[in-house]
Amino acid sequence: MNEHPQPEEVFDEYALGSLEGEDKQAFESHLRDCKTCARRLEEARARLALLSLAAPPITPPLRVREGLLAQVRAQSSGKVPKPAISRQPRRTLWLVPLLAAAAGALAITAVVLIRLNHRLSRQLAALEQKQAAMLAAQQEQQLQADKARRVLNVLTSPETVKVSLLPADAHPAPQGKAFYNSDKGLVFYAANLPPPPSGYTYQLWLVPLRGVPISAGVFRTDREGDGKVVLPPLPRGVPAKAFAVTIEPAGGRPQPTGKKVLIGAVS
Amino acid sequence: MPNAPHHTDRHPADFELIRRVANGDEAALTALYDRYAGVVYSVAHRVLKDEGAAEEVLQDVFYQLWCNASRYDAARGTMAGWLLVSARNRAIDLLRRRKPADTNSMEEPVPLAFNLESSVARTQLISRVKSALGILTPAQRQVLELTYFAGMTHGEIAEKTGEPLGTVKTRLRAALHTLRQVLAP
Ligand SMILES: [Zn+2]
Repeated sequence: MNEHPQPEEVFDEYALGSLEGEDKQAFESHLRDCKTCARRLEEARARLALLSLAAPPITPPLRVREGLLAQVRAQSSGKVPKPAISRQPRRTLWLVPLLAAAAGALAITAVVLIRLNHRLSRQLAALEQKQAAMLAAQQEQQLQADKARRVLNVLTSPETVKVSLLPADAHPAPQGKAFYNSDKGLVFYAANLPPPPSGYTYQLWLVPLRGVPISAGVFRTDREGDGKVVLPPLPRGVPAKAFAVTIEPAGGRPQPTGKKVLIGAVS
Repeated sequence: MPNAPHHTDRHPADFELIRRVANGDEAALTALYDRYAGVVYSVAHRVLKDEGAAEEVLQDVFYQLWCNASRYDAARGTMAGWLLVSARNRAIDLLRRRKPADTNSMEEPVPLAFNLESSVARTQLISRVKSALGILTPAQRQVLELTYFAGMTHGEIAEKTGEPLGTVKTRLRAALHTLRQVLAP
């Protein structure tokens, strides 16, 4: 065994990851056999860890907490395998891999879909965050988590049908996607929609196998033309034939009256 | 543990919470999260300068905690220390587009000499670290911050600052020497 490294800085530099080349190799080979130096390295690591506290303090958004809980529950329920220690896929936002996995089955390019998915996961979280303000902290967390779980159920259940909605007219850009499970509910998102005319709104319709369309609610679009309808109140157990989006007077209508903007049949 | 605060059922110690996390207790995980998410997120944001990426690191660090809690050895390291190191290292990995390192697992203990379990203790230690950095010369501080918060090598710092490599090394060593004096427990 070679001698203990003399300058204390070597321990600091190794802990910082800035020791390189031969110096690094020599240090590591010594470390394997020397408990004293292993202990000194731990102390250096702990001392330098304090530098993390010099970062300007910022409060993280609530959606990360919700995302963590959703991820933990997905893992607990066996949907996602436990990662090996310290090994993890890069993207951990919980919706992204699920939606990305569904991409193969869908007739939209993966690039667009991943972009949409990423945005959707943030939109969902943002939506839930808005509701959060209205509820007491404890109760709210439970509700948020329940909702996250319900959304996850809709998206991952084998019985869920996935319907791509394409433009009903010549405009190529707008698109929509509906995840529908007659027991668990509906999650819908749209992209690239132009703002509706003043005094009008977009309205989503579930077209049942039998009977007249059922409103799944009106929705707004943001500046980028994205919109969504998440778990709207719908009668349970209704088999769907198609989904459609129309433009309706503000507040929506009980039955579609306006122009069809998006439409997609359940295959 | 010096200055260990008085623990109550409402404010359990980190080692108690992590033991419960190892048994699958979600409430214990959220208690640890509520205690440390702020510092973890702040360091990730300082490194990455991007909210989305910092959120990713924050969620990732606590998910790792959830998955590997049973490997944690309270006799060898502190929970807070592991979180501070993990947050920095994962953020640097992301910044430098590296795969998360195999090092820095639960088996690599970080025996922090300070207790961070109460918000008062955290605030006190934060101001102590800041005043320690205040002692450094601006040039020493720059080298230290580029190393710690940007994960740069000596060579990269020399290139960025236009200083000779030897100067960079000397400055970093001087900065580390000062920190050892002023951050001793
Ligand atoms: Zn030694």
